[in-house]
Amino acid sequence: MAAGDTPVGEEARPGRPDDPVGRAPAVRPFLVTAGRVAGARSGPPIPVETQVVTTAAGVTALDGLSFEAHDIVALCRQPQSLAEIAAKLRLHLNVVRVLAEDLRSEGHLSVYVPNADLAQDISVLRRVIDGLRTIPDSRGALRDTD
Amino acid sequence: MTPTEPAARGAAAPTAVRPPLPVKMVIAGGFGVGKTTTVGSISEIRPLTTEAAITEVAAGVDDLSHTPHKTTTTVAMDFGCITIDSTLKLYLFGTPGQDRFGFMWDDLVEGALGGLVIVDTRRLDDCYAAVDYFEHKGIPFAVAVNAFDGRVEHALDEVRWALDIAEQVPVFTYDARERGSVRDALLVVLELALARAQG
Repeated sequence: MAAGDTPVGEEARPGRPDDPVGRAPAVRPFLVTAGRVAGARSGPPIPVETQVVTTAAGVTALDGLSFEAHDIVALCRQPQSLAEIAAKLRLHLNVVRVLAEDLRSEGHLSVYVPNADLAQDISVLRRVIDGLRTIPDSRGALRDTD
Repeated sequence: MTPTEPAARGAAAPTAVRPPLPVKMVIAGGFGVGKTTTVGSISEIRPLTTEAAITEVAAGVDDLSHTPHKTTTTVAMDFGCITIDSTLKLYLFGTPGQDRFGFMWDDLVEGALGGLVIVDTRRLDDCYAAVDYFEHKGIPFAVAVNAFDGRVEHALDEVRWALDIAEQVPVFTYDARERGSVRDALLVVLELALARAQG
């Protein structure tokens, strides 16, 4: 149901990762936000890695939601970053910012904005370093003789 | 409004899953330099693409410089992720880069642990913008020369000289297709970030 309802999601864009512009979507991005743009509020836009999770109220309300709102609330039953929501639903990142804020204020989503100080947090940096060190050289057994 | 740790805003919502703490690193460089390959070599998901808005400031004489203010351009941005553990997730964002413009990457880069500037020695010009940006923002970064076919056309010293890279910035070769090589490149940046955080 959801997929057929969203013209934006129907755009099959060929994978050209370094294409600086890409194709224009069939629906102008900010039509779905009634012309509102992210960052119009005070303060900087929320970071692209911000985690978004559907609340219990959001799960309950899911069937009553439509279009992008439905798709976002459905997707975020598993935590997603703003960037993942945008990519998976083929929405402009700033459109997702606006809609996520709307859905949060309606109680359908929890939005976990990370603290900017995280980048200087020694324990976080150590955990990332230790975690990366456990990653083996290559996947599978392709190069196990190296 | 913006909690330090992911706040228990969903505490009253029993089905809400507690998300991991997200951190990110930025992979920058010119078009076609190997950003997506780099992300794909180590990401646990196939790299995803999203469109992000980037604010451009016209630098000097340019076709767009008759526009007095900043302009916003939509660019494709590739990213992947690595789950460090159940409470911590590292995102890798490949940011598009073009010379000619001083990019305002703040929207993407704010809060990043560090940056990796990828260089193709055949097109050194393509990475000036990224080097300048990280230097200007004071974000820990390293310069990684993508050794296509194991060859590097310029010696690393020449790359450092040509790009006017400060002594404390690591410059090294790596292979974007090799997971271990990408991992080690990211670790160089993170060690730099850790050293800086420890002051």
